[in-house]
Amino acid sequence: MTQAPINGQAEGGLEPIIRCRGLTRTYIKGDNTITPLAELDLDVARGEFIALMGPSGSGKTTLLNLVAGIDKPTSGSLRVGGVELADVSPSRLAAFRSEYIGYVFQLYNLVPVLTAYENVELPLLLHRLSGRERHQRVATALQLVGLADRHDHFPRQLSGGQEQRVAIARAIVTDPRIIVADEPTGDLDKESAAAVMALLEQLTAEMGKTIVMVTHDPKSAAHASRVLHLEKGRLVVQDERFATLAGA
Amino acid sequence: MKRLPLEYAVRNLARSPLRLVLSVVGSALVVLLVFAAAAFARGMEHSLRASGSSSTVIVLGAGSEESIERSEIGSSVASLIAASVRGIRTRAGVSYVSAEVHVQLPVFLAGPATPEGDERHPPEDSEDAPLTLVRGFTPSAFLVHPQVQIVEGAMPRVGYDEVMVGTLSATKLGVAPDELAIGRRLWLAEKLWTITGRFAAPATVMEAELWAPLTDLKLATTRETDSCVLVALDTAEFADIDAFCKQRLDLELAAMPESEYYSKLGEFYAPVRAVVWITAALIGLGGLFGGLNTMYAAFASRVRELAMLQCLGYSRPALIVSLVQESVLATAAGGLLGAAIGLLLLDGVAVRFSMGAFGLRADAAALSLSLGAAFALGLFGALPPAWRCLRLPIPEALKTG
Ligand SMILES: Nc1ncnc2c1ncn2[C@@H]1O[C@H](COP(=O)(O)OP(=O)(O)O)[C@@H](O)[C@H]1O
Ligand SMILES: [Mg+2]
Repeated sequence: MTQAPINGQAEGGLEPIIRCRGLTRTYIKGDNTITPLAELDLDVARGEFIALMGPSGSGKTTLLNLVAGIDKPTSGSLRVGGVELADVSPSRLAAFRSEYIGYVFQLYNLVPVLTAYENVELPLLLHRLSGRERHQRVATALQLVGLADRHDHFPRQLSGGQEQRVAIARAIVTDPRIIVADEPTGDLDKESAAAVMALLEQLTAEMGKTIVMVTHDPKSAAHASRVLHLEKGRLVVQDERFATLAGA
Repeated sequence: MKRLPLEYAVRNLARSPLRLVLSVVGSALVVLLVFAAAAFARGMEHSLRASGSSSTVIVLGAGSEESIERSEIGSSVASLIAASVRGIRTRAGVSYVSAEVHVQLPVFLAGPATPEGDERHPPEDSEDAPLTLVRGFTPSAFLVHPQVQIVEGAMPRVGYDEVMVGTLSATKLGVAPDELAIGRRLWLAEKLWTITGRFAAPATVMEAELWAPLTDLKLATTRETDSCVLVALDTAEFADIDAFCKQRLDLELAAMPESEYYSKLGEFYAPVRAVVWITAALIGLGGLFGGLNTMYAAFASRVRELAMLQCLGYSRPALIVSLVQESVLATAAGGLLGAAIGLLLLDGVAVRFSMGAFGLRADAAALSLSLGAAFALGLFGALPPAWRCLRLPIPEALKTG
């Protein structure tokens, strides 16, 4: 059943940073079994920028949540950064997220009672750092997203695009290897969306981050190095450049 | 476990000022009530404990051990005991033996003396008159009740129908303190008595009594018997007095350490204290349910934010700690407020009571109990809602509005 991985980079001997084999997630609701993700095989190499596309309900968020370690597979194998996530305890999983993952949400999810600076600082409080070092990192992250002058602003004082950039600063401040983003431009106007996409692209190009992004917007997807299409929990087509059929 | 900074909990308090005010005022009220209940129970216990000494023995009529007021003994008992039992305390040849009459009498205030002369009769409507304990005493009473101190005026003289009043007797009678000022008069047992002095007996039941010379009181109430004899022991033991009572069967006496008498009295009032505690507990429970609701509303609006924090790597226990901190901060602020009000308003406040009157005791025990209640309110008011709001799996919680 397991077939050749979609991406050939694993053959170089270096394990891909994300490696799914027969990855399945099912929900049992009463008599119904819903399978948002079925027998998925996928390799993602370090530094790739993946765009996940597909109709609503096709399992994009489910896949993203599995990779981010906030959900657990029902069956199959999911290795992220060499760790088999299916076997990890909840508390180890929280530590894994803190170290490996930066999560960017569609609705930013900033804490309204904290300033931009404090929001970005939140994930760093889980790391062993001196106060100086922490300040340095927060300042650098806010600088990178172009909001160095907004340290003391509360989310309600920022535009949607600025909020999302603060959220990106929060996602990268711990220097995670993987950034997952669920429709990060879904709530933004064109210009803000372009700015956010440019920023994400910069993260892979300049910092070598691996990004997995869900999007409905082909323009956003165009920034990715690879586009994957999900349908009913299965990968359908890789992007045109490879034009390989996965699954059936 | 890596925790969220306390600052986060503090800022969250400010999210809804109305809710904050509600939590603070609510817990202040609960704490004040718990404080009042504790001060009441402590005051009552203290008053009963301080009233009885273990080295003093009460001799009263056999069969009336429960109540001195019902007891009747011969008026020669005091001198018989003083003469027969060795090892009773003495000073300058005077034995510490006090014959007393304890009687509940209706009291009518009569105002100050007037030159036109006195009214001849007490008011008729004796039904409404407040009852108070009147104690007939001799100077020996001061020997066996060393707590009693005359703080104003003088001791009543024998033969002049004079009385002295305890500092809490106005409270006990439910009248303004100057109604019992020195020089005022009152009707007792169809006689007009003049107040000559005021005495204190800190934290004892005696503070609510009226004291009159033994012979005058017996005359006024047309009784020949005493109620009891109090004996302070030196080298003698309780058993010696007890033996005397058992040998002199003709006198029909029973002996009991004074401390035991009051602890029995305390047991008698235990149900009253229980009711007070239960009331306080019910109010606390009401406060707890109110708190549960408030905190649930507060946390439920943050389910998505709590899921986000978990995405960042914060553990559920860390989030629960933060939510509990938030809640305890509010109830502790309310608790301090309630306790401060309690300390200002409650301490020493006299409470009228069938037994007499006593002062509320807002002491360290009552204070720590009420502050503990504030803490418990914050803790148990937050735990179930926190648990409920963190129960959803993270992916589902992220989808909530
Ligand atoms: N917690 C859940 N319980 C039951 N069904 C779920 C749950 N989460 C997702 N699903 C179902 O799984 C399917 C895929 O969901 P999702 O991954 O969110 O899709 P999308 O591609 O739109 O992000 C949907 O049919 C959804 O209803
Ligand atoms: Mg989705």
